[in-house]
Amino acid sequence: MAVEPVRFPYQPGGDVRNESALPFLQVRLQYQRHVVDRFGLVDSGATVNVLPYSVGIQLGAIWEEQRVEIALAGNLAAVPARGILLSATILHLSPVRLAFAWAYSDEVPLVLGQMNFFQEFEVCFYQAEGMFAICPRNNG
Amino acid sequence: MSTTELIPLINPLSTAEKFQLLQYLVVELGKEAGAFPLDTNSTYPVWTPYGIPAESADKLATMLAEERAAYGS
Repeated sequence: MAVEPVRFPYQPGGDVRNESALPFLQVRLQYQRHVVDRFGLVDSGATVNVLPYSVGIQLGAIWEEQRVEIALAGNLAAVPARGILLSATILHLSPVRLAFAWAYSDEVPLVLGQMNFFQEFEVCFYQAEGMFAICPRNNG
Repeated sequence: MSTTELIPLINPLSTAEKFQLLQYLVVELGKEAGAFPLDTNSTYPVWTPYGIPAESADKLATMLAEERAAYGS
């Protein structure tokens, strides 16, 4: 059965002007037995998902155990990153596996990018309404 | 202060300073008119990690594929 798109309002960013609402999406992340709820920036221009360092630590991940080194770019070009796989749940939707570049920095929000958030979800932005909608790609 | 009082103060300024003043006035007028949505005194973070080498995304895709192969999809 097809799943209806779920709509979300744009949210004010923590470190930008209040009127600059952005497509932040609340997501429940799980790594092994640890779970955290965070807002992630849905960013179609981001090549990969990015996980801030402290969120990985809260999830119980150990930096030294993540062996896959990931090169970042842009304002994160100088930040080391390691690949990490997490389960992600959005509201009532089925959990998906997301691969993150776990950045060795907290000077970055949680970013949901092309690899592989946009591979798991269709996303539509309705800027004029201050809304965006997501729909699982594998919704049968 | 009126413009009559202001102009004699501006006249001695150098050309560069007059351009700076002009630029300042243009920005201020723009703000008042709502023509400049961006504030010159603010910082606008751009978080998009754009231009990441393709191999970075490939590595993440490989991690997902290896997990799928190991545990089933």
